Amino acid sequence: MRFPDARLFAAAAAMTVAQAFAAAEAVRIEVTSRLQKQLPGVAAADYALGGAALDAQLRAQVEEHAGDSAAVVEEGRKAWTAKFRNGRTLAGCFPNGGRRIAAHYPQYDARLKRVVTLEMAINQCLKTHGEALYDTADAKTMGTVTAYLRSLSNGQKVAVRVPAAGEDRFEQGRRLYFTRLGQRNYACASCHVQGAGKRFGEATLSPAVGQATHWPVIRDGAPVTLQARIRECLELMGAAPFTAGSDELNHLEYFLAYLSNGLPLQANPWRPK
Amino acid sequence: MRNAAAVLALACGIATSTEAQVVAGRDLFIRADKGHCIACHQLSGGAVPETRADLGPRLDGERMRALGKAAIRQAIVDPTRANPDTVMPPFGRHRLLDGAEIDRLVELLHALP
Repeated sequence: MRFPDARLFAAAAAMTVAQAFAAAEAVRIEVTSRLQKQLPGVAAADYALGGAALDAQLRAQVEEHAGDSAAVVEEGRKAWTAKFRNGRTLAGCFPNGGRRIAAHYPQYDARLKRVVTLEMAINQCLKTHGEALYDTADAKTMGTVTAYLRSLSNGQKVAVRVPAAGEDRFEQGRRLYFTRLGQRNYACASCHVQGAGKRFGEATLSPAVGQATHWPVIRDGAPVTLQARIRECLELMGAAPFTAGSDELNHLEYFLAYLSNGLPLQANPWRPK
Repeated sequence: MRNAAAVLALACGIATSTEAQVVAGRDLFIRADKGHCIACHQLSGGAVPETRADLGPRLDGERMRALGKAAIRQAIVDPTRANPDTVMPPFGRHRLLDGAEIDRLVELLHALP
């Protein structure tokens, strides 16, 4: 058997990569165009505001409480710059001290063959330097640090990549988002695609596009991460919530972050109790 | 005589307790651990507190009576039979409510103004 022509092999590989990009991008375009048809009055950039884009009352409250995240962000800053026992810091683990990196997470790590969230990257840094890991779901540690870290990327446009090897993880997140779960038989998409912009009780249902841009939110003075909020939703759905940091939630976050590509990060907005 | 009074008091106590356990249709509509219908639907006539909920349609008596009790019941038991794409939970099929509770909700909706 002859070894295939190198140029042919390279072209085939490039085509595989392009197809993978095309698949995730086709999903993003399809969901975005469906939402734009359902919600014709919403400006494209306003999707980054989540439910506040569709609720003038909530939007005014968010603007009124814009300073409420200051204490949380300051707590996070202290932890970010605090010296480890070896003299290093969390800031030292990330390029440019962590400035303008948040919009590139989650990432598919080809070496680990896993989706890596910003929280996982923080814990990886702690592990590298022999420090105790943060509980991914803990507001006081992981919540405040991510609040600070995301504030360093405020306004940066989401730019999450789905390489060919990560396509399967994106697809798992997409499938989970559209699958009905739990006793109440809702899918995430039931409310955030089909019902986007409508109200569940007093809460305006945020559109799937833009859902990954504005985390953590500050609720009752404490940071609530995207995964913590998804867990609350799963409980409402009558489903046993996946653990924070599980592959299921990481894939959901990866899917949602890719849908938000091109939208500006809105770090730490206020939300009602 | 004293024993008879005690038995009567005990029986009354049991009756009151059983009555308290029967959740009224209005409460089934509101409570998050029951139907929680109020999260999606508004009702006509002030039967339940006003909300901004609109994931499901506003329900009024005229429309409910036009549907009829059997159709209302079927819509609560399993709305996906009539519309597979609906976001409404299958309250009967998934045992969120039992048969008697569904009957009380049907009565509540059928009697709306």
